[in-house]
Amino acid sequence: MSRGIWVALGATASIGGALLYSRRASAASSAPSNAGPAEQTPPVIELAALPRAADVTGDLSRNWGETPVDLRPLFMLIEETARIPGSARVFAGVAYHESHFVTTAHNGNATGEQDEREGSRNAYANSKDRNPPLRYGDQAAEFGSGGLFGALAPYFLWTGVPEIGKKAPLLNAAPTLVFQPRAAAFGAAVYMQRLLSEYRVDDVPDIKAGWANPGLLKKGRGGKKYQEVRTRFLEDVKALGIDLADVDTIPAKLDASAWPGVPAVFAGLVGALPKELS
Amino acid sequence: MTPDLRCYGDDIHSLAELVPDFDLRSPMDVQTWYAREWQAIAETLGFAQQLAAAPRAVPTSEDRITAMTYTGLTAFEHALRAGRPGVTEAQARVQSAVIQAMTAAGLARGELWRVTADPTTLATGACYPEGNRSMRAFYPDTAPGYFGDGWPGPPPRAESACGWQTPLVLHLGTFPWVYSARLGDVGPGARWASPAMQPAIEGLHVVASLMDPATNLRQDARQVTAIYRHFAAHTAPLVARLPGFQAGRATAGQLYQRGRFLYAHQGSLHVAALDGPRGRLAASAYNYILRRFASFFAVRRATLRALTTLPAEVQRRAATSPDPCLRQQVEGVARAS
Repeated sequence: MSRGIWVALGATASIGGALLYSRRASAASSAPSNAGPAEQTPPVIELAALPRAADVTGDLSRNWGETPVDLRPLFMLIEETARIPGSARVFAGVAYHESHFVTTAHNGNATGEQDEREGSRNAYANSKDRNPPLRYGDQAAEFGSGGLFGALAPYFLWTGVPEIGKKAPLLNAAPTLVFQPRAAAFGAAVYMQRLLSEYRVDDVPDIKAGWANPGLLKKGRGGKKYQEVRTRFLEDVKALGIDLADVDTIPAKLDASAWPGVPAVFAGLVGALPKELS
Repeated sequence: MTPDLRCYGDDIHSLAELVPDFDLRSPMDVQTWYAREWQAIAETLGFAQQLAAAPRAVPTSEDRITAMTYTGLTAFEHALRAGRPGVTEAQARVQSAVIQAMTAAGLARGELWRVTADPTTLATGACYPEGNRSMRAFYPDTAPGYFGDGWPGPPPRAESACGWQTPLVLHLGTFPWVYSARLGDVGPGARWASPAMQPAIEGLHVVASLMDPATNLRQDARQVTAIYRHFAAHTAPLVARLPGFQAGRATAGQLYQRGRFLYAHQGSLHVAALDGPRGRLAASAYNYILRRFASFFAVRRATLRALTTLPAEVQRRAATSPDPCLRQQVEGVARAS
């Protein structure tokens, strides 16, 4: 994704403080990097481990393709917590593209990923005046994007701001929290809900178009980039082995009308953060 | 008396310690131990939900292991039916026939863990039709790998219709990781399912059988020991590079040693892997394989401890086993009883 698009994304994001996601993160980069000048050393946060099969009720066998067995419960937990039926396998498709299922995938720490870091710098610069302050804002600006779903760090940390303002749960967290899959899942759930409720989403590939850039669901709809993102997503899910036409597991259109709210989704996916972050 | 597995070597004694010890004469022990093993298998192979949903009859103490085997295999079958078919009907049919023939012969020889055959001696030649071509029903696994240094021969005695030039070798003790290579996050055997047939169930049945006391005793532990030592020798240098896990000091995404097993902190064991000269080995596969070896010897130890309570035929087979360690242990049990 070009720097120009990120500038545009920043502007788009500023409308609602929308969480925006990067292009596919580097699966080869599996360790968190030092992200520029630190405001202070972030505390170590240990979220709960990945959920297991017993933690969800939805099916974990049918139409998952090659999705790693031990990540399926996480995707299903997002679906069940966010109450977006059929979204679990879509999240798997997005994660396949963004991170190849590497929870610590990171764009922004390699020479060739300068665009990604500039993207997060622009995102932070363009939106920090409209959003509550981030305790580790400078680190977030330098971070780039990462995690299972390729979240751009500043927007990841601002997740929930449009809904609950200064009570958004990640404002005091460091950007490396995105490497913990439950936190990444929270960001992805909120973003999916926002796409479904605030944008025209005609089908599942539209979700991926909005994931790349919400503007593609508005002015960009039907354009070259819109088509490219959709086509690539269809190729991705085919390679992964998920059948988007299997309406028993993935409805033709996802519905977020039963969304329980940001606090409930955070509690269901992440739980409570340490006191110093709350 | 606690049977001593050191006859096979100190490493085997330590290997058995990787899973809990249990008393076959205790119904509660048996229930707990086998339920834990099936849970571990199901979580790795992706049928934990089906296993949890399986109806649990209350078996008598005599058939408790059989009942759990049935439950586990049924759960696996349900998961296979829900997933994508990995092979055609024609291939599945041949695979099923081949596995049945090879396991029957392997059991008779006391070599069920790794079965080998001249494919041209099998009824189908281990070939199946695809269009107008004849294809091999299994991968010719003869290159050096994690389970052995390869099997260059003997070549098939007859000409193969589908190009077999080597023996057919399947490591069913570690099903679905049945080949010495291809140890990715999904074992090749897990794909042995067509819409109508699931040869994969026969593969997992062998795993279950090796946890059954009578079949466990029929398996020549020397074969298992040799394969384990090969696996350990080729994985130890890779595992040694990993840091030990320390709670509260771990890095997200890092692969750690935790005990003898691997642990991916805040990450997927199916995505994490060891990379070595013998190829890529998924962390999930490593843990599963190691546990299968450990479980085999844990069952062997428990079985020997309870030997005098087992049917006379089982005792006789053990006493006349070609495995000198087993004969020695049986004599020890007899002296102590």
